[in-house]
Amino acid sequence: MGRSWLRDYIIKRLIYSVIIAWCILTITFILVRVGPSSPADKYLANIAARGGDPAQVTAAVEARYGLDKPIYAQYFSYMGNLFRGNWGWSFSTSMPVIELIKTHWIYSFQLILLSSLFAAFIGMLIGIYSAVKQYTKTDYAFTFLSFIGISIPNFWLGIMLILVFSVKLGLFKTYYDTTLPLFSLDNLKALVLPVITLGTGMLAGYVRYTRSAMLDNLRKAFVTTARAKGLPERTVIGKHVFRNALLPLVTIIMFDLGSIVFGGAYLTEIIFGIPGLGQISFNAIFANDYPVVVAVTLIGTFMVLLVNLATDISYTYLDPRIRYG
Amino acid sequence: MAETLRDIARRISRPLFNSTRLINYYWQRTQRNKLAVFGLAFIIFLVTLAAIGPFFTADPTAVNFEEKEIPPVGFTTQQSIYNIESNQFIAKEIRGTWKHPLGTDSKGRDMLAMIVSGARVSLLVGLIATGIAIILGTIIGVLSAYLGGWVDNALMRFTDVMMTFPFFLLLVLIVFIFGPSLAFIVLAIGLTGWTGTARLIRSESLSLRTREFVVAAKALGASDNRVIFRHLIPNVISLIIIIATLSIPGVILAEAALSFIGLGDPTVPSWGAILESGQHTLNTAWWVAVEPGIMLFLTVLAFNFLGDGLRDAFDPKSNI
Repeated sequence: MGRSWLRDYIIKRLIYSVIIAWCILTITFILVRVGPSSPADKYLANIAARGGDPAQVTAAVEARYGLDKPIYAQYFSYMGNLFRGNWGWSFSTSMPVIELIKTHWIYSFQLILLSSLFAAFIGMLIGIYSAVKQYTKTDYAFTFLSFIGISIPNFWLGIMLILVFSVKLGLFKTYYDTTLPLFSLDNLKALVLPVITLGTGMLAGYVRYTRSAMLDNLRKAFVTTARAKGLPERTVIGKHVFRNALLPLVTIIMFDLGSIVFGGAYLTEIIFGIPGLGQISFNAIFANDYPVVVAVTLIGTFMVLLVNLATDISYTYLDPRIRYG
Repeated sequence: MAETLRDIARRISRPLFNSTRLINYYWQRTQRNKLAVFGLAFIIFLVTLAAIGPFFTADPTAVNFEEKEIPPVGFTTQQSIYNIESNQFIAKEIRGTWKHPLGTDSKGRDMLAMIVSGARVSLLVGLIATGIAIILGTIIGVLSAYLGGWVDNALMRFTDVMMTFPFFLLLVLIVFIFGPSLAFIVLAIGLTGWTGTARLIRSESLSLRTREFVVAAKALGASDNRVIFRHLIPNVISLIIIIATLSIPGVILAEAALSFIGLGDPTVPSWGAILESGQHTLNTAWWVAVEPGIMLFLTVLAFNFLGDGLRDAFDPKSNI
């Protein structure tokens, strides 16, 4: 026996992830190449104003970027460059894209990490409570509130929080202060509103999913057995029901990361002026700075890929019943 | 084309819509859920507003700096107004009037008119993009389940790849590359949003495929076409209705978020775009950011309530 099946499984998942990553890069390459824009566009207005020949400039710039080569050669150099960590040059900030990402990712990371922890912790607690007290007034109240939490557009929630707590009450600054050291109380305080903005929707979702997953397990025979053995209710709920409800929850939390969290973090950063990856992509859109926008999408996608891989592997530890061939 | 589409629509929906008893039964079950009824009522109100509202309201694009930042009825604000004779700014109290029930924005545009035409944009985007995504997802899901083998494998691996892209980031990239026109935004949302539907429909069709009536139909020599359109799709139609109702809010929010970050169609006044302009005038005109947000929130809430009620009615076992 041993754990060799686990090693084989992990290797299989790794290879699969690499193939997906390759597909993603290819799709992105096709999107950018099919798109109507050219890197020469940003020079044209200037050139035309000085009486230059736009066609000549376009040809020169495209040759500089290697766009005059055959499509397969462009594809290979694109993939090779990405692989070597050469993600292009951001002209609007005058630095390599990879440097830009290195200096800004931490802001997105702290926001996403704190929001996820906040949402998962409180959401699961409320969900467990709701399930145990099913069909009571508190359960109905939490269910209704979770509907509201899911439906509030998070970018609007952020603006409303600024309006109430920063503009009217003056409790917080309206903008994130980038001069604060990362690990300080002031920084934590500056992140309160952004974390609520990003976390509320997730939290409400976790309440619903936890409640439903707990209810699925509460009526199972092993719960009756545990109670019949005379175990205290705390242990029954915590160890027997919740442990079994955790697996579908982990799937959903990880799935959220891709579908909700990155989009939400993007908008939250813009509202509060947090200089994370969403913010640099937002600025790049206005500067028509192609490589940055592409890079941020790719980073987000690779994060999802990594998280999916980690989820699949962590299953084998969370649920010892699972064996993959 | 339209003829065949109508024919297909009639054929696949006949089992549900020809049976008044079944519809009555579902309606009874949905009705028991008061929140779902509220959701449906609000959606009907919104559709009416979007359809005929613009004929009764002012021009939403009419700029009038004489009447800028007037608060909604019942509210007052302080504005400092420049007086040419004394060469000074004078504080003046401005009261909301019935001429602009919801107030005006920083360019003096009527908020009510903008909200009403924004409803039209949001609903159109929500319905059409969801329609595209659902049709694509259903076709891919059913084909995948019914044909099996390498087709299933290829389609599901492609779905995996598409699901790895964070939805909003992919949308931002596509709209950034191809330019923000409303038609293109709708198409982009539709072409990227089908993955969840495809998976759900596939797993539902997989279990249907082995049921006796499908096996019997095949044994009697029914063509693939007939099995798919007469037996598989009619049996997933209730699932499709639920998915569609629950997808619409996400699509409406996606369009609003795109407009909010400036990737919306600049020629149409969408709720997200109004919200974005309101963000910059929080100090002087809070209602510009509040009103479109409330509409977005209520719309999303209404679709979520209705979708949840429908799911309870169609599938009593589920308790998500």
